[in-house]
Amino acid sequence: MGRIVLENVTKSFGDAHVIPPLDLTIEDGEFTVFVGPSGCGKSTLLRLIAGLEETTSGRIVIDDADVTEVSPSKRGLAMVFQSYALYPHMTVRKNIAFPMRMAGVPESEQEERVMAAAKSLNLVDYLDRKPGQLSGGQRQRVAIGRAIVRDPTAFLFDEPLSNLDAALRVGMRLEISEMHERMKTTMIYVTHDQVEAMTMADKIVVLQAGVIEQVGTPLELYRTPRNKFVAGFIGSPKMNFITGEEAAHYGAETIGVRPEHIQVSADSGKWTGKVSVSEHLGSDTFFHIHDTGLADTITVRADGEVSFKHGDTIHLTPREDVVHKFDAAGLRIT
Amino acid sequence: MSNRTLPRLLQTPAVVLLLFWMLIPLSMTLYFSFIRYVLNSLRRPEWTKPSLSNWRGFGNYEFVLNNKDFLLAIQNSLLIVCSILFFTVIFGILIAVLINKSFPGQGIVRVLLISPFFVMPAVNAVLWINMILDPVLGLQGLAVNGLNEVIQALREAPLIGWFFSLWPELTPISFRATQTSAIAVIIMVTWQWTPFAVLIFMTSLQSEDQQQKEAAILDGAGAWSQFRFLTLPHLGRPIAIVVMIQAIFHLSLYAEIEIVSRGNGNKNLPYLIGEFANNNIGAASATGIFAVILANIVAFFLLRMIGKTLME
Repeated sequence: MGRIVLENVTKSFGDAHVIPPLDLTIEDGEFTVFVGPSGCGKSTLLRLIAGLEETTSGRIVIDDADVTEVSPSKRGLAMVFQSYALYPHMTVRKNIAFPMRMAGVPESEQEERVMAAAKSLNLVDYLDRKPGQLSGGQRQRVAIGRAIVRDPTAFLFDEPLSNLDAALRVGMRLEISEMHERMKTTMIYVTHDQVEAMTMADKIVVLQAGVIEQVGTPLELYRTPRNKFVAGFIGSPKMNFITGEEAAHYGAETIGVRPEHIQVSADSGKWTGKVSVSEHLGSDTFFHIHDTGLADTITVRADGEVSFKHGDTIHLTPREDVVHKFDAAGLRIT
Repeated sequence: MSNRTLPRLLQTPAVVLLLFWMLIPLSMTLYFSFIRYVLNSLRRPEWTKPSLSNWRGFGNYEFVLNNKDFLLAIQNSLLIVCSILFFTVIFGILIAVLINKSFPGQGIVRVLLISPFFVMPAVNAVLWINMILDPVLGLQGLAVNGLNEVIQALREAPLIGWFFSLWPELTPISFRATQTSAIAVIIMVTWQWTPFAVLIFMTSLQSEDQQQKEAAILDGAGAWSQFRFLTLPHLGRPIAIVVMIQAIFHLSLYAEIEIVSRGNGNKNLPYLIGEFANNNIGAASATGIFAVILANIVAFFLLRMIGKTLME
């Protein structure tokens, strides 16, 4: 079991109110991702759940037990840190065994569980090395191993992939997802990278300045963002926002069109502009278009075969069924 | 010219300079240790000038080895150095860990803690032996008198008086005495050098990774386990540095020993050298060579210890 409920939780550092009253329920076995720009309070929220920060007010409930005042180690949660936070003077074996050693688990059982974790994480050959002799990805796996052996009610990940290079990040992302499929344990994952959020999450929590902007599945957030912030944050490249007369045609203050929902043509279309930069990714081409009279830059995602050069005139047609409309307060109009 | 010759050539002046810096005093000491050389002798005026014709072979060494104070000096050197190292490292770690947390007045506390280090060794010794450790006028004497008076008063008390009447009267310790003067030196030098250890450990503690501690907290480690498994290994290298630097300094302690007891019952090798050097330069040089050997033995063990921590 691992159902985590936050009730009216707030956090202030002196006069700085980092998290205004916040309610959130994370169901058992769910992979929840906290995502938001840096400084939005997502790490603080995770640390509140872990118990590394004390709540200023409100309650944290894990499996129907109020743990607000319970010490971090008694909450049954395991955390994986961005810097891995391995113990540099201990071998991998001792690092992984450390939580069991602290809990007084018999040595034979420690060894057994360390071996099991090492096997599932491909660390068997490295058990007698020190963290300093491992690569970034291996260190991250050791940190995960140290979390697994505790058999926690929930895993907490604090930007675990930010220190890895791009190729490793994709690999580790898959490994963590597979681990979740296998273990079915509740996982809370903090990241500023919306791609990680979209690919891994069962449920995404979008945060801005400590406030939850929207909670939903990745596709809900992509298809029906509740406001302009979520619409701009989820999706890559970012959604185009158009204000003024054109938006008024749609009966909105602002309209948002995703780059992948615009069709390009050389001869006719609803809007016209000049190509500034075209980025060829092979499978796709991103066009950055100026002089449309709609917004500073319009980004379009087209098929990899489409080719326009700098300075070419381009005609754009949005897919009307997926144009997002927002009112003056930035909220979605349905 | 191979690509290694030029760098070596460029290093040569520095290496040669350092070599002479070391070699000249060392070889002069060696030379003096094998000849008869005194500062003042009415009977044998030819001994007052260093000359090969006064060759004495290992005579000076024999003379030093047979001196009744020599073994005591070596024992004392080791006792004093090891005790000071032991206490400064322990106190240093405890104090550094204590003041590592932020609290109001932190800056002032740190300055006050460092201040003993700025007291001159001679002044330090005078202050301690006269004002604090003196059995009559010092704080020690006053404290012992005070305790005796309290015990005396308690003996008069009903019910518990019999218990205190079993207690002996306390006598203050005279730290200038033969048996205790080394302890006085250890106390005062520990007081003076603990700040040095605190300073080094404090800077090291500030570079300790906080996320590791948080991970340990989540792993169920209490304050003691965090100290034992994270902080202490983290301090391994600074401890090695403190031990090495202090060993170098304390092998040559002199002022404190001179002031506490004028070497009475408490000589170390430098003090013995000083005594010989009043007249007998040959014997003093021979003792110096023994001191060099002792320092090398100590350095050998220290370097091995430090090498081990650096390897990790």
